[in-house]
Amino acid sequence: MIKTHLADDKDVLRDVWFGRIPTCFTLNQDEVTEREAEPYYLLLPRVSYLTLVTDKVKKHFLKVMKAEDVEEMWFEYEGTPLKWHYPIGVLFDLHASNTVLPWSITVHFKNFPDRDLLHCPSNSVIEAHFMSSIKEADALKHKSQVVNDMQKKDHKQLWMGLQNDKFDQFWAMNRKLMEYPTEEGGFRYIPFRIYQAMSDRPFIQKLFRPISPEGNAHTLGNLLKEMYPTAIPNDGEPKRYQVVIHGIEPLLETPLQWLSEHLSHPDNFLHICVIPTPTD
Amino acid sequence: MSLCVLEEETFRHCCRLILQQSEQLRDGWSWESVQSVLVASAGADSIQGDIDDEDDDADEGVCTVSEGSSQVLQYEYHILYSCSYSTPVLYFRAFTLGRSLSLQEVWSSVHSNFSFRLQNSPLNTITQQEHPLLGQPFFMLHPCRTEEFMRPVLQVAQDHNRPVNYVLTWLSVVGPMVGLDVPLKYTTSHY
Repeated sequence: MIKTHLADDKDVLRDVWFGRIPTCFTLNQDEVTEREAEPYYLLLPRVSYLTLVTDKVKKHFLKVMKAEDVEEMWFEYEGTPLKWHYPIGVLFDLHASNTVLPWSITVHFKNFPDRDLLHCPSNSVIEAHFMSSIKEADALKHKSQVVNDMQKKDHKQLWMGLQNDKFDQFWAMNRKLMEYPTEEGGFRYIPFRIYQAMSDRPFIQKLFRPISPEGNAHTLGNLLKEMYPTAIPNDGEPKRYQVVIHGIEPLLETPLQWLSEHLSHPDNFLHICVIPTPTD
Repeated sequence: MSLCVLEEETFRHCCRLILQQSEQLRDGWSWESVQSVLVASAGADSIQGDIDDEDDDADEGVCTVSEGSSQVLQYEYHILYSCSYSTPVLYFRAFTLGRSLSLQEVWSSVHSNFSFRLQNSPLNTITQQEHPLLGQPFFMLHPCRTEEFMRPVLQVAQDHNRPVNYVLTWLSVVGPMVGLDVPLKYTTSHY
């Protein structure tokens, strides 16, 4: 999926944007239905959010349910409530990476787990969350200068681009957030989050520069060595973990600045999943 | 170096000072390590917490407040450091009878003066967010405009050559907006 020639950089942006995960939604068997609920199949965009793209799922299951049995919809995979505020691709890579497709998600309309999941009463909550991530990313990259120079309609354009799956509309604005002064060689700090499947802590996020004080480009390997050294095997040791971004394992030598510009999610963060290597 | 930028080490230092004061006042701030978040409930109008070893950027206080009616509300406040914005960030959640309070309920339990001001304040937004260390839903006071209200205060202090505990100053502004009072005794102590 990922090409490595500089001339194909724009293709990378498209491949990331249009990544899809075939998913099968099944209604939780404890839900009260008037007749049997058929599963619903959908191709989910990796870069979007569950609650933004599942209106059809809701409509489908509502057809067999009474209104009084329907509360806020939430999703679960093998017992784990799925955090709608994480990009869909991150949820998949983190929880279901090396399993057989389609991804099987269970749909619930009762017993919302409010100790685990944020509520999502409307699309404006998703928009607020998305824009908040973009602003935080720009605080790291440009001390918020670029995002603060944008007008309200520019912010809207980023959101509408994501909501309506409009690559060109989104990137017409997003490219500004990917610029940097040439003399700097890169962003001030790289917006990233490292997720580990087996951890109490939801993610690792700290300050990390793309260029070393000596002017060398930091790589993905450099980042992991600093933030999560367990992910990288020592010489001679077997590889126990996979480092996954958008479903692929980039080479550890890949420059972090390039990854930030090309493999970030629309929220401008590089979301990195560290998962155990499948044992067979 | 911007006047309003709070370095992480300074944040820790400010918290240590607050903790020293808190121990004397016995009003329950503790520096918690991520894995064990100890909560102690207390009678009305008092705040209590537990001291644990320092390991992370979290500073937590627990207080139980009795409403006029028989409803007991328990609030939990966490002060974290945001390295993205170089400011402290306030996370909080509230429970009653084992159930989490919704944002609407939080608004209505805050003093009506503050509630009105807070909902109409351009300087702060409260949204539900995932706690970055615990991974659970909390309410968060958005940090992106902290600099706006901190700058005048810090400028005046600098002009008068007065040392300022950034975190304490910040807390005394945002705390009351979410039902957390900062006793005057904090400010009269030696900085």
